[in-house]
Amino acid sequence: MEILQNISYGFSIGLQPTHLLFCFIGCLLGTLIGVLPGIGPVGAISMLLPATFHMSPTAAIIMLAGIYYGSMYGGSTTSILVNIPGEAASVVTCLDGYEMAKQGRAGPALGIAAFGSFVAGTLGLIGLMLFSVPLAALALKVGYPDYFAILLLGMTMIIYMTQGSILKGIMMGVLGVILSSVGIDPVLGFARMTFNRVELADGFSVVPIAMGLFGVSEVLLNIETSFRHEILKTNIKDLFPGRSDWNRAKGPILRGSLLGFVLGILPGGGPVIASFVSYGMEKRFSKEPERFGKGAIEGVAGPEAANNSATSGAFVPLFTLGIPANLVMALLLGALVVHGMRPGPFFINEHPDIFWGVLSSMYLGNLMLLILNLPLVPLWVQVLKIPYRILFPLILLFCLIGAYAINNSIFDVVVMITFGLTGYLFKKFNFEGAPLILAFVLGPILELSLRQSLIISKGSFLIFFKRPISAFAVILACAIIAASFLPRFRKQGQNRQEMA
Amino acid sequence: MLRISSDLASGLFWLALSVFICIKSAEVEIGSIRSPGSGFLPFWAGVLFGMLAMVLVLKSLIKKGINERPPIIGNVKWNRALVVLGSLYAYAILLQKIGYLLATFGLMILLFCVLERPKWWVGIASSLLTVSLTYLIFYKWLGVQLPKGILTF
Repeated sequence: MEILQNISYGFSIGLQPTHLLFCFIGCLLGTLIGVLPGIGPVGAISMLLPATFHMSPTAAIIMLAGIYYGSMYGGSTTSILVNIPGEAASVVTCLDGYEMAKQGRAGPALGIAAFGSFVAGTLGLIGLMLFSVPLAALALKVGYPDYFAILLLGMTMIIYMTQGSILKGIMMGVLGVILSSVGIDPVLGFARMTFNRVELADGFSVVPIAMGLFGVSEVLLNIETSFRHEILKTNIKDLFPGRSDWNRAKGPILRGSLLGFVLGILPGGGPVIASFVSYGMEKRFSKEPERFGKGAIEGVAGPEAANNSATSGAFVPLFTLGIPANLVMALLLGALVVHGMRPGPFFINEHPDIFWGVLSSMYLGNLMLLILNLPLVPLWVQVLKIPYRILFPLILLFCLIGAYAINNSIFDVVVMITFGLTGYLFKKFNFEGAPLILAFVLGPILELSLRQSLIISKGSFLIFFKRPISAFAVILACAIIAASFLPRFRKQGQNRQEMA
Repeated sequence: MLRISSDLASGLFWLALSVFICIKSAEVEIGSIRSPGSGFLPFWAGVLFGMLAMVLVLKSLIKKGINERPPIIGNVKWNRALVVLGSLYAYAILLQKIGYLLATFGLMILLFCVLERPKWWVGIASSLLTVSLTYLIFYKWLGVQLPKGILTF
């Protein structure tokens, strides 16, 4: 009964006009970001993060979460109609979605993507409700060594999932930890690597770094090649899939929802991986695997469901342990910290308004997206026609204003531009920005838990093997690193990335 | 054209950076494993980073002769990116001095011309529209304190 009370309390917050408005804005912006190639949810959220500083924390998280799951809905539109994924989690939708569109079945493809996403979003939220409260209670037993080990495992998984060289991935992770240590030491209060600059006393802010690495650098890369995309000239009809389509799609939607939720919870998991694994699983389970890649509706339904429920799953470790499972969650963690909150085991009890309010708003947002998205498909197609020569100056301007607005400081603008250049060079030299930014966000918790663990154990690293959670996480992290250097596993990883 | 591989160049750069990080973090107390000081994590992370950079350098040297080594500058189209980067840095310098409206107007005219040169009045009109709309949204509506500079409204 308590859960029903909590749900009704959540809806009383989510249905407040202000929260409904911000949920709507978030969903609309998210869909727009999902539709537009060249800017993903990470870039968009980091651009808009400073704009949320003046809002209440609940409204801020409602809007930012809306951008996240909204982008999952929007991404499928471009995958199906243009064969260009608006964001990474929709890459796999291109394979069968675009084929369906070429066969004149764009309507059912868009329809099943939207309905599948809605069902998965709903199931994911039920999972989030059921898992978060007991997990938060369990998280109270998690000590410093466990935290360190879980963070290490999360970083390892992110590195494993990166494209190309594992060595470079590890280097980026370590660099992220080093960058996070700039500023006043939270334990002893000494200034580290601040170069006598007042702006660096609190360290670098995550927003200009993320905007630089994922916003500015993307623009710099895109303007090198003037890409033009052709929109398939097809009649979009039958947006409501027929009975035979439903029969084929219902299994993949349910399996994708479950798989996406589980992969969303895991550190380093998330919508991108969930969509790929779901596609692979559906193809393997299918009685007619040869249909995949030639317009199989299961190849759209499964991955779209998986990427949507993964967004719900990713909130579980953030709200219960204070650990972001992926980059978007890292930015949301940054937003909560700016508002003076630190997610962790006590978060749900201390801030039930945020937890239950955001949860109910996610359900309302999924409903809004379902109602809005299908009728608005023609509008999104028009949006795709905006030429990049107009789009990129606006993206850059929003980044500049966003960076300035954090502290009204030119220093943050310069940091953002410099990280834009850095991200651009990273791409040229085949380095990935994702492990850096995740390690940067996790760095302070990682450092605190490592130092406290070493103090408790009087300098013995064996402390990480004496507790079941930490021992399991450390061993798993080591196994992943070891496996990634084995040629067979490495080849599989590279194949997966080539598909992306 | 430089004939060193991109991995060798980046590895050497990271190696130099790791030495710098270790020196800077040693300026505060590193402490011991029993009682880690403020410089403990950055110092040891710097050491690990240096070791990884060295592995990258060695790997790129071992690969010498086996793989064709791509030149550093040859596969990078600097022109457009360089113009945009230069204008962004110039914007950062000028923003506080001449204010949001003028600096952004100048930047927008420049950026709108990077990929394709529009008709002069289209460029000016688009820039004016962008500056006005963003000013209204961010300054008037969202309350972001954009620098006024020489224009006092």
